[in-house]
Amino acid sequence: MKNEQLSQIKKMLQKQGYIDDGAIAMSLFLAMKLEKPLLVEGPAGVGKTEIAKVMSKALETDLIRLQCYEGLDSTHALYEWNYQHQLLYLKMQEGKSQKITALEETIFSDKFLLKRPVLEAITHAEKAVLLIDEIDRADEEFESFLLEVLSDWQVTIPEIGTIKATSKPQIILTGNRTRELSEALRRRCLYLWIDYPSFEKELAIVKAQVPEIDAELGVQICAFMRELRELKLEKTPGVSETIDWARALASMHLTHLDTQVVEATLGVVLKDWQDMRHTQDSLSQLLEKTGVASRIG
Amino acid sequence: MAQVLSTTFQTELSANIVLFCRFLRSKGFSLAALDEAEALRAISFLPVHSESYFKDALRAVLTKNKFQQIHFDTYYQAFKEEQKKGPNAKIKSIPDEKEQFPKKRKDAQFEALKDWLNLNPSKEKKEVASFSDIEVLTKKNFHDLSEDEMRLMLRMLQKMARKLAHQKSRLQKVSRRHRHLSLKRTIRANLRKGGEIQQLVFSEKKERKLKLVLLCDVSRSMDLYSRFFIHLIYAFQNAYDKIETFVFSTALHQVSELLNTNEFDKAFALISERVPHWSGGTTIGSCLHEFTNDYGHGMLDKKTIVLILSDGWDTGKPEVMKAAMKGMYKKTKKVIWLNPLAGSPDFSPEAIGMKTALPYIDVLASAHNFESLKQLLQQLGKKRNLGKLPNR
Repeated sequence: MKNEQLSQIKKMLQKQGYIDDGAIAMSLFLAMKLEKPLLVEGPAGVGKTEIAKVMSKALETDLIRLQCYEGLDSTHALYEWNYQHQLLYLKMQEGKSQKITALEETIFSDKFLLKRPVLEAITHAEKAVLLIDEIDRADEEFESFLLEVLSDWQVTIPEIGTIKATSKPQIILTGNRTRELSEALRRRCLYLWIDYPSFEKELAIVKAQVPEIDAELGVQICAFMRELRELKLEKTPGVSETIDWARALASMHLTHLDTQVVEATLGVVLKDWQDMRHTQDSLSQLLEKTGVASRIG
Repeated sequence: MAQVLSTTFQTELSANIVLFCRFLRSKGFSLAALDEAEALRAISFLPVHSESYFKDALRAVLTKNKFQQIHFDTYYQAFKEEQKKGPNAKIKSIPDEKEQFPKKRKDAQFEALKDWLNLNPSKEKKEVASFSDIEVLTKKNFHDLSEDEMRLMLRMLQKMARKLAHQKSRLQKVSRRHRHLSLKRTIRANLRKGGEIQQLVFSEKKERKLKLVLLCDVSRSMDLYSRFFIHLIYAFQNAYDKIETFVFSTALHQVSELLNTNEFDKAFALISERVPHWSGGTTIGSCLHEFTNDYGHGMLDKKTIVLILSDGWDTGKPEVMKAAMKGMYKKTKKVIWLNPLAGSPDFSPEAIGMKTALPYIDVLASAHNFESLKQLLQQLGKKRNLGKLPNR
């Protein structure tokens, strides 16, 4: 897939059911062309992680995922020596008269190296997609440690040396802005901010993801979500919630929203007790607005 | 823009890109020369010569955070208009509205600010200058202190601030001090030597440096305490590595750099020159809002403590204040509000600004004497009380 064109990427996204508004396709296109990592930020549930999944499907390669968390360190992200294996091997070799240097060479070879996601991605036979999810959850130390990989595509292991990438992986980093990322990291990446989609875009997403849905119901759901996001909620629902909800309602073969249905299924959309209560209070008002909105839209 | 994309106009295009980057830099984008090169490379990949592609590509390469990405279109448009006006006009001639605004009012307000920043108020001189030991100091109200006592106090304060700026993280690192044996690391290190313990590895907790943002109210109602608070800011400024200081009354001004690069007295002379003075009352809400909007994306995170020094007399709208405080509360480790009025026994947060802000404050303290300050500094290290949920 060396000669991707912008139009091809758009087609690929479409084929995978990912609706884009130009900016996303452009960022992906340039990330591939410039061979730079892509840093994607945005609120929860707008399809940041999905980008990587779609990309790996479109490129027909493996997706290697690294979920970040506080305290993540290099042994979990990069590599680790397989100590037990090394020890067993040494025990087995005890009787035999083997030279120490040779022995040493064997136990510090690829055979005893446990590859963690980052190393796996750069030593992958073909171009892989490496998803570093929720990078803002990891410590700042980890971030600086990633810099070597991001800019030089190499990993240094003291016992072996520097491992250069056999094929430059396509790296996608995602973040929720729970913590501000360092300038050094930003500088090395292309940046993409994904916001909540517009009504039209969201409708297109719902139609693509839940094709069996009743047309009017889809419109109503998206209009309702739009109004819901206007409320000042603790956890504003994302697109993934919209899709879940659409799926749930479609599976019940409903054709329109009403107070009862919304109340019963609100848990699919809202995940916070206070938000639930707040929404229930203003439900009739919300639905009224939705009705108006859907008629216009 | 479509024609300039063709190869015959390559030189003009690259010149334009460089100009555009320069323009963006003047708007606060941090772009390296490498970014310019990347932008040019990116454009060379574009399939069709359309402006929307061109703009999208530049946005993808040149923006590095949310704020920049959202405002990119506006800047792009502004730059284009500027280009249209005079193709040969230099970017430097574009007036920067933000900078001009404070300059206009500077002279008129200068004297008033100097008054406020006066470091030798006459009433202090009435005090008999005598040596007082720390015990006495701790309970004295700040505006009763003499100059010498103040200096002693500040030294203590500085010491404490420095100590608190360095906290222990849960992460471990290898240590040279032979205190805590790290079993895991020892075994791992010695496995490489064949499984026999030859070398011990010790560990200690990593230091976690806190970041501090100081927002100081310099309006007239705060006059009485201002002198002390300025000292306080200065003490903090030198103790913490990452600290940003702002002063506000009706508008917000960043003064960290001035404090960082100058001696105490000189720094304040400079501030009084550069910072335009307030008029009438304080609009805390809008100032805080300005802060979260313009600086928040780079300064607020879960390692940051925000310290607001103000009496809470807000003349703006409470909703603005509420939104700003809420945003701040969510993004930071802790929000601390120092209100000098809180020191008096019959204080209750009556001011509307104070009332609105209260749910989003972790600690409301008075800091009117040393003892209360000490308590406050201890608070800086503690974790946020998660049981307390902010009301809507």
